[in-house]
Amino acid sequence: MDSLHAIGFYVSAAISVGGGLAVAFLPGRGSRGVALGAVGVGIAGLYLSLNAGFTALVALVCYAGCALLIAAPQYRAVETVVAGAWRQAGAVAAGGLFVVLAYAAWRGKFAHPYFFYLGGVNSASVGRLLFAHDALAAEAVGVLILVALVGATAVWRVRDRGR
Amino acid sequence: MTAGLVAVLFVAVALVAVGAFIAVWKRDLTAALAGLPLMFGGAGVAFAGVSRFAAPGGPPALGQGVSALLAVAALALVALGVGIAGRGTSR
Repeated sequence: MDSLHAIGFYVSAAISVGGGLAVAFLPGRGSRGVALGAVGVGIAGLYLSLNAGFTALVALVCYAGCALLIAAPQYRAVETVVAGAWRQAGAVAAGGLFVVLAYAAWRGKFAHPYFFYLGGVNSASVGRLLFAHDALAAEAVGVLILVALVGATAVWRVRDRGR
Repeated sequence: MTAGLVAVLFVAVALVAVGAFIAVWKRDLTAALAGLPLMFGGAGVAFAGVSRFAAPGGPPALGQGVSALLAVAALALVALGVGIAGRGTSR
């Protein structure tokens, strides 16, 4: 990656992460929609600096749609029943997730499908990597998503019964 | 100045973590939906970065295709969530 692309990459990274933090802390649906639009511009810039122009265009359109949905007048607030202590614990867990994933990105030894399966990087080799070489990790992620969905459904049911 | 795969993965991790933070921190569930596009965007950036850096001889279109699919999925999920929230409160 040359200097121009690298500068674009870091500027886009700052815009996207800063916009995400603004979405987290700004009050009001309008300001949150604008911040989500800034996130979309930043992510599209990241794709552009990674030589993914078409993906950048798709991301720009999709994130503009997300920003419009979040800022639209049809927006209805739904208050959660989760207590503040659990939200704080979740915020700390999000910080822990960042630390763990950043450590994995820094120290991880990435498997290369070419060396494992002597073929090109395509959907078949990635599928073999996920469901053969890293099958246990893929199943762990599946269980995690299932637990999260069941937990969200349980919270929703508790809220409905409390009405 | 340059940026490699580790820098791309760091940015992707930051986006996923900020998205998770929004999803758990917001008291309003509809506002918490805004965390989904960030998490999906982080995953998409990781896919695009891996296809850009880790496969110099292979076709990069797979990672870019997955990234575009994730962006469309994020839009669909936000639309679904906002629609369900509006339907649930208009009864």
